[in-house]
Amino acid sequence: MSLQVFVCAVCDRAVFPRRFLCPDCGGEEWREEPVEKGVLEAAAEREVRVGAVRTPLGPLVVARIESDAEPGAEVTLDQDGDVPVAR
Amino acid sequence: MADYSGAVIVGAVETPYTRHPEEGVTTETLLADAFVRALESTGIERRDVDGLGVASFTHTPDRAIDLAWKLGLRPRWLMDDGNGGASGIQLLQHAVRAIQAGDASTTVLLSGDHFDRESFRRLVDEYNRTTAQYLAGIPTGGPNVLFAMLTAQQMSKHGLEREDYGRLVVAQRAWAGLNPLAVYRDQLTLEEYLESPVVAEPLHRLDCVPVVSGADALVLSGAGEGVRIRALRARHNHDGQEGDGLSTGIAELSGPLWQDAGAGPEDVHLVSVYDDYPAMALAQLADLGFAPDGDLPGFLRRRIEEEHLPVNTSGGQLSAGQAGAAGGMHGLVEAVTQLLGRAGERQVENARLAVVTGYGMVLYRYGACANAVVLESP
Repeated sequence: MSLQVFVCAVCDRAVFPRRFLCPDCGGEEWREEPVEKGVLEAAAEREVRVGAVRTPLGPLVVARIESDAEPGAEVTLDQDGDVPVAR
Repeated sequence: MADYSGAVIVGAVETPYTRHPEEGVTTETLLADAFVRALESTGIERRDVDGLGVASFTHTPDRAIDLAWKLGLRPRWLMDDGNGGASGIQLLQHAVRAIQAGDASTTVLLSGDHFDRESFRRLVDEYNRTTAQYLAGIPTGGPNVLFAMLTAQQMSKHGLEREDYGRLVVAQRAWAGLNPLAVYRDQLTLEEYLESPVVAEPLHRLDCVPVVSGADALVLSGAGEGVRIRALRARHNHDGQEGDGLSTGIAELSGPLWQDAGAGPEDVHLVSVYDDYPAMALAQLADLGFAPDGDLPGFLRRRIEEEHLPVNTSGGQLSAGQAGAAGGMHGLVEAVTQLLGRAGERQVENARLAVVTGYGMVLYRYGACANAVVLESP
């Protein structure tokens, strides 16, 4: 249970989603690093609950929220195909 | 180069926007209608048009050249633009440069969209590859939840309440009541705004731009009298989608924009900001420098509700409607109409200077394109 974020092989800058070139150093190679937890910064509900989750490596990811976590709470991260899921 | 002289805007028109257009209306019939209205309003002959620019989401698979053919034009300058809420100013930026350089002398810029159920679903779920890959599967079901989160964050950062946004929405509806082309013209009270149905808290229906079918056009000329471009600046992808989304690229361009214009927010007589959601209209007003003390609730109360600062005097997209990419030209058309003194009942007295913004293209979390222009009456 984790979410893969993309870390620049040259300068360790993390991004999500993946870019072609690292925004900082222009590096072209990425390694995937799993993150298991993050902090919910915002949430809204339409068909499902959707949130913005801050990962410890830096990127803020848009995730499906499968719990009643409120902004400020720590959540666990997972993925459903490419889609980030937080609980 | 800050010099945008040598080309003026001689005409600005909008087809009547409709929620449910008649049978047979398509994106290309709307664009063609806007073209014909543009010629009629300016008296320019079709044979003299040698530049054509088109912005649309749904014109595909056709391009500007298809329209040139079907309208009987032989342009020397031709451009498609797909940058949604920034497309109007984007086309204007390029079209003025083409006229300055002698690549065209009379240019018509068109933007418009007509959505049926399938084309609207595609726009929402396949807006870009990132949306299709990372958001559609959540499912976010379109941008409303993203802007609900941004609105909630803006409320918490600036101490805003729903009624603060309501002051802008109600004020824009009052302007719409004076605009025969606005789709929603019935006057609103703050109570009616607060009670409108929930879309995604804190957004309610009256916070979300209504989708319509329609088209807009601008006519530019290298000669004659028209609205002048004092300054134009763009800043796209200003923060790589890694900021809080509450500050747009306009925050970076507004300093140079006002410097180029030799004017500031206090000097303009009307403002058109891209209003897909009240929170983003407010963010752009702040980025332009209209609330220098950072007190956004106070700005809405004093400048909008009490002093009736002319913001989105057509009613804006929130009341006039958003016809897809035409939303990126709607504010320009209104500002030009006002500066030419042709705004009828809603005419702002002595309107000589206007600022217009473009904003849009939600790549992942919020709009990545931003531009702005300061326009001056003939």
